[in-house]
Amino acid sequence: MTAYGFWIFLLSDIVMFSCFFAAYGVLLGQTAGGPSGAQLFDLKNVAIETGCLLLSSFTCGLASIAADVRNVRWYQLAMAVTGVLGLCFLALEVREFADLVSRGAGPTRSAFLSAFFTLVGCHGLHVSAGILWLLTMMAQVYAKGFRADICRRLLCFALFWHALDIIWVAIFSVVYLLGSAV
Amino acid sequence: MLGKLDWSAIPIHEPIPLIAAGAVLVIILAVLIWAGVKGYFPYIWHEWITSVDHKRIGVMYVLLAMVMLLRGGIDAIMMRTQLAVAYHSPGIFPPEHYDQIFSAHGTIMIFFVGMPFVIGLMNLVVPLQLGVRDVAFPTLNSVGFWLTATGALLVNISLVVGEFARTGWLAFPPLSELSYSPGVGVDYYAWSLEISGVGTLVAGINLVTTVLKLRTRGMTYLRMPMFCWTTLASNLLIIAAFPILTATLTMLLLDRYLGFHFFTNEGGGNSMMFMNLIWAWGHPEVYILALPAFGIFSEVVPTFSGKPLFGYRSMVLATMAICIISFMVWLHHFFTMGAGPDVNAVFGIASMIIAVPTGVKIYNWLFTMYGGRVRFTTPMMWAVGFMVTFIIGGLTGVLVAVPPADFLLHNSLFLVAHFHNVIIGAVLFGAFAGYTYWFPKAFGFRLHEGWGKASFWFTLTGFYVTFIPLYAAGMLGMTRRMQHYDVAEWRPWMIAAGVGTILMTIGVICQIVQLAVSIRQRDELRDVTGDPWDARSLEWATASPPPVFNFAVLPNVTGEDAYWMIKERARRDNLETREPDYRDIEMPRNSPTGFVCAFFASVMGFALIWHIWWMVALGLAGAFATFVAFAWRDHDEYVIPAQEVARMDRANIAERRAAMNMVETPA
Amino acid sequence: MSEQQVHEFHEHLDLAPGDEEEVRVGPRLVGYLIGLGLSILLTATSFFIAGTDLVWQPSIPVALTVLAIAQMGVHLVFFLHITTGPDNTNNVMALAFGLLIVFLVVGGSIWIMAHMNHNMMQMDQIMPMQH
Repeated sequence: MTAYGFWIFLLSDIVMFSCFFAAYGVLLGQTAGGPSGAQLFDLKNVAIETGCLLLSSFTCGLASIAADVRNVRWYQLAMAVTGVLGLCFLALEVREFADLVSRGAGPTRSAFLSAFFTLVGCHGLHVSAGILWLLTMMAQVYAKGFRADICRRLLCFALFWHALDIIWVAIFSVVYLLGSAV
Repeated sequence: MLGKLDWSAIPIHEPIPLIAAGAVLVIILAVLIWAGVKGYFPYIWHEWITSVDHKRIGVMYVLLAMVMLLRGGIDAIMMRTQLAVAYHSPGIFPPEHYDQIFSAHGTIMIFFVGMPFVIGLMNLVVPLQLGVRDVAFPTLNSVGFWLTATGALLVNISLVVGEFARTGWLAFPPLSELSYSPGVGVDYYAWSLEISGVGTLVAGINLVTTVLKLRTRGMTYLRMPMFCWTTLASNLLIIAAFPILTATLTMLLLDRYLGFHFFTNEGGGNSMMFMNLIWAWGHPEVYILALPAFGIFSEVVPTFSGKPLFGYRSMVLATMAICIISFMVWLHHFFTMGAGPDVNAVFGIASMIIAVPTGVKIYNWLFTMYGGRVRFTTPMMWAVGFMVTFIIGGLTGVLVAVPPADFLLHNSLFLVAHFHNVIIGAVLFGAFAGYTYWFPKAFGFRLHEGWGKASFWFTLTGFYVTFIPLYAAGMLGMTRRMQHYDVAEWRPWMIAAGVGTILMTIGVICQIVQLAVSIRQRDELRDVTGDPWDARSLEWATASPPPVFNFAVLPNVTGEDAYWMIKERARRDNLETREPDYRDIEMPRNSPTGFVCAFFASVMGFALIWHIWWMVALGLAGAFATFVAFAWRDHDEYVIPAQEVARMDRANIAERRAAMNMVETPA
Repeated sequence: MSEQQVHEFHEHLDLAPGDEEEVRVGPRLVGYLIGLGLSILLTATSFFIAGTDLVWQPSIPVALTVLAIAQMGVHLVFFLHITTGPDNTNNVMALAFGLLIVFLVVGGSIWIMAHMNHNMMQMDQIMPMQH
């Protein structure tokens, strides 16, 4: 029941992301004389980010299995790897943003860039919140073991983490790949 | 150190807000001192503020709504007075002030009266109707309420510290952008709604999960009371629509705080996009308010007609149809913005189609009354008043759904009259009906009938005297949000509307008197059995007020109108049943999480508005710490022993038996 | 009777989202590995198609969309364990409702705004007229 409530929350979160996608779609051409996506995006970086996030989804799945068989060591290891991969993703994204800002292509340059930074940045904020949650779950299992309510929260965390990867699939396809191809 | 905040934020040179703020502060202080002197604080903290009981939280929601109704109503009185006198005259309120009044009026009435009222009633009633002990997530319920209260608090603080938005209740850009609204008003508006929006979303998740996953044995979907179906539909809409509000306000705030260009005139921004998105939220929002009201009437009408609801399945279908179609009509709020005939036609047709399932509902209520033994109690009168009033409002709605007609009527007083017609007719009348109907369940005594009827007649008459003139003025070309006017034809209608406002105010005063009188006479008005209306659904199967665990033993349901079937069987068998098998009951512990979380949210909201960045960080850290503290607790439930459960239940059964014997005395 | 049975009434019928029936470690591991493998394949294909000249250019947006939807499906099935069984009905219904809303909001907004932008003059052309 807890997981179902969280599932519905995730769907509401996806509706919120869809608004940012809609704004991005509408403002795509509004570069106000500034740079467009094709001129800015570094696809190699995006590919590495994608790899990090996808692998972290996999290791998160491993953590779920470890939790179900009550294996603390494998759980903590899998969660730690998931966290590290998530941090790598964030580091790469922060570096990309800083680079864009330094080139005068920050979010205040044009409506297109505002929409880009907001959509991708919102996802990045969710990943950051997810990492905070991940650390909290690692601490909880360390302190109290696999209690029933902690396992419920782990299920919710896994849902959250996988959903973030699903949203990233939409982002790299629509924003980066489509943006570079046109 | 304190961002943009300094002493000039307090309106020392403006007498009206200063006096209003002063009066409110005096009242709040008086209440706090009275409660402190009487020693009520521990009781209020332990039994209400930290409560995770859906019944208590529901009552607090309704209380918030009724207090804010007074504030929003006073705004309305100010507006109507201004328009009655401001003919060839500057009136009482200068434009800078008047603009804040109508913006606050709309914001408060929708977000802090309508929403809390319906959410409160749903919270109070739905678990009882489903035959379960609480909602799916009790502590989260508390968090949701307190975050809503935070939003209301921030809006009210804007009266004393700073100013409110001057942009109307939906803050359209470019006016709401930083260059045209450099003050803190729009920030108060936006942050207040962002925070209370989280609270509303949480309530939505809670109620959907409760209806889908928590029903007593035997209660299949098609045996649920109609109010539970409308709760499901309305909360599905909350989950689907509120994220849109959050996203859109976030984009506006990013424009204002960080210089983004979503809706600005420069940099390629598109202000039309704001209207599009905000109404994609805004239209489902009115159905979020109206559907629970329809549900309330689906409970009141069968009870006071002595018949089951006519056409239950068609009602369910109509409700879910309204739920889905409400997401396909939003452009009718901006036909005139320039989408062109093709787009306008699609949305115009959809807007007319959505009137059909609503019509089905009206027919079903009428057929429920037909052939029944109708008792015209106060809730029933609100129901009949609703049917007449809402039909008129719905008809004018179908009229403005026709794009060519809307090109003439958009943003005129005709439109204002239309939406007040449907909102007051459905939501306000429904709220009052629900309040009167379920008050005895919540508190154990009925409300005084005479004052209730007086309130109804004053409010109903006052409504028509206020708003029918507005239809006329709109047809004569008067637009909304006017601070003064020079057209002679409009004047008599404005004066008539002013008179109507006096009548509606008397209606509200009658409500307050009714409450005071009822509390005074509560022993005569006592509900001893738990079923004062001879009603049909499960909330009436338990005591008034219900014990914290709702039902001693969760009921077993075998059909629609579950409680009616129980009563029929009891009358037949003359209550010759074995005593139920009482067990220990586990209930969730109270928790200060909701209140503390909202405290930090208030701090954060205020700090964000005034650009006090260190305070924002503090609030954020505090909120996170609250979550972790909540996650860390080891004891989240307490046990009520079986003997205690048995004792409370036996007392209620004894009362019911006595009442049945009094009724059943042979001639 | 009562409490336990009320919960069981629902929990025997419904699987929590994210949860799967399978309890043995081996098959679960294989499930995640297949999910990972398919995702890598789809991702690589997307990147390749976006950058290459070997594909008919106008079809690229459609191809990328299809690949993205396919990969989201892979995630839903292999990582989130969303199936079409009767114990998953509530989860699928909720997902379908969410997707409907997303489609209406995104599709509706883009359709509406395209018409608006076509009919109404650009702000950067109106602003100079203000002076």
